[in-house]
Amino acid sequence: MAERMDDAARRALAALEDRLDERTAAYLNACVRCGLCADSCHVFLATGDPETIPAKKAERVARLYRRYHTLLGRIAPRFAGAEDASDEALDALATAAFGRCTVCGRCALHCSVGLDPAAILRFARLMAQAAGRVPKGIQASIDLARATGNNMGIAREDVIETLSWLEEDLRDTTGDASIQLPVDRPGARVYYVLNPRELKFFPLSISAAGMIFHAAGENWTLSSTDFDLTNYGMFAADEAAAGEFSGRIVRRAEELGVEELVVAECGHGYRALRWEAPEWLGRRLPFRVTSFVEVMARYLAEGRLALDPSRNPARVTLHDPCNLVRHGGVIEEQRRVLRAAVADFVEMTPNRLDNYCCGGGGGLLAASEHAAARLEAGRPKADQIRATGAKVVAAPCHNCIDQLGEINRHYKLGVEVKTIAEIVADALTTGGPG
Amino acid sequence: MPLTPSALVLAAALAVSAAAFVTLRRRLGRPLPAPFAEPRGSAAAGERWALTAAFLPWNKESSRHHAASYAAGLLLHTAIAAMVARLLWSLTGRPLPRPLELALAALLATGLACGLALFAKRLANPALRALSVPEDYAANLLVGAALAGGLAACLDPRALPAFQWIGAALALYAPLGKLRHMVFLVTSRRFWGRFFGRRGVKPAPPVAGEAPRG
Repeated sequence: MAERMDDAARRALAALEDRLDERTAAYLNACVRCGLCADSCHVFLATGDPETIPAKKAERVARLYRRYHTLLGRIAPRFAGAEDASDEALDALATAAFGRCTVCGRCALHCSVGLDPAAILRFARLMAQAAGRVPKGIQASIDLARATGNNMGIAREDVIETLSWLEEDLRDTTGDASIQLPVDRPGARVYYVLNPRELKFFPLSISAAGMIFHAAGENWTLSSTDFDLTNYGMFAADEAAAGEFSGRIVRRAEELGVEELVVAECGHGYRALRWEAPEWLGRRLPFRVTSFVEVMARYLAEGRLALDPSRNPARVTLHDPCNLVRHGGVIEEQRRVLRAAVADFVEMTPNRLDNYCCGGGGGLLAASEHAAARLEAGRPKADQIRATGAKVVAAPCHNCIDQLGEINRHYKLGVEVKTIAEIVADALTTGGPG
Repeated sequence: MPLTPSALVLAAALAVSAAAFVTLRRRLGRPLPAPFAEPRGSAAAGERWALTAAFLPWNKESSRHHAASYAAGLLLHTAIAAMVARLLWSLTGRPLPRPLELALAALLATGLACGLALFAKRLANPALRALSVPEDYAANLLVGAALAGGLAACLDPRALPAFQWIGAALALYAPLGKLRHMVFLVTSRRFWGRFFGRRGVKPAPPVAGEAPRG
């Protein structure tokens, strides 16, 4: 049965009333709609559609804020650019937040006023979620993760079987019978969490991590139950779900008594566990949370990995995942690792904090209703990659890898997309395949 | 010197405006709790950067790519600050030295020209027009009127009462619409700077193995 509109509006407005924090409210009050943020957004660059200007997308929240939270918006809504929480307004809010924005934050770093439109769009997601307007694919991933413990519904036996098979394969490939993919090992120093897609579709990245940990002499473990680093609750701004998912991993880490939780190459997973989980859970975490990229850089700095860059002779360029870089602060480590691991490394233009989103961030890959827009939004990234002349794109994020794979085919780039761990594993001179 | 009616109205309007801004700031939204995540960089350094170097035109792509608009915006806001200072000074009832008055007039004229240019840009640019709401134009015109009033008062003291009446209208209107950004810009930059500073994103990324700054 279709839900009555006014119930959805009431919930969205209750979210606006109860959940709006002073930072987001300050941003809403500071925007002057100068429009200078437009060409900071990869979606606007790809489409030229004024609806995709970051300030315009943020306006979807601002219009409701003005209507219900400002005097001018109450007495002269049309003049103030305020609107009622109608069905159309909530649909437009959800489309702006989930379909036209990956919450990559590039606009935030370039807003000339000094506000963060991405934070406003995250709040738009929160309102859309309250109004029951989360894209079906994202909601399905949340529901599956709630029901099964991971977003792909992989059973524990399948996890153990896959890891066992991978371990055997690793021993065959490397000729090293001592190499392990340890599971649920008590007393481990490091707890390594994965993207479930690695188990299903990208097992080589797990093997690569295993080789690197082995070469570095790390005491590490995987979990057969709480292995899923992804957090679609974060994408949906569903903080209850987000806290539940990260809480599972935090509790498992505490049970294992590890010193360090290492997050496989995944931008949003890193952000969720490193930056957001302590806030969702309302406490400090008793262990360190790091990206595997940081760990590899540390091993290299400590002389624990020996790499031969000539084993990766093809030109390699680097994609900067938004949640790892702009929202995570992991900026130089991946570069140090790649410079040590490949013979020909070339930066994209622009790069680091200014790099463009792949177009698939913010959970957009799971929102099939926005698939065409997602591919279109990947054009600036495709242009960047093509301009480098690279044959390999290193992307320390499985979400980005999926989107880069799609734009590789769509824009006929002819590149190979790999994780940094895979590239490093290929260059290992000890414990590696060669 | 006794206060003129226009000066009295201006003083009252400024007091009401200040009170309104204080109330707005207090009721802005749910206070942010102290964060639990370990910092990677320094919130204080980020905040300092946001309030200082981030204004430099080469530090943001939006200002690099739109240098003319950014420069016009800076000049407009510098002129507005000078206009407000002139307005406040008018409450003392004392004239400014003539050379200073003339320099101020030049600044206000420049700011007015920049404001009108930005107004024309908003009207002419389809993307910007799509982004705008009626109040954007009204606020721009009101500020333009205040700058024009200030300019006239600098050139001819007989225009001072008119400048004060316009100033009173501006002060009363400021907390209501987009002009409130004059206060929330600073608040916004402070939050922005603390967020990105803490995460080690701004002002400069830390090097691996280095202790968190701050």
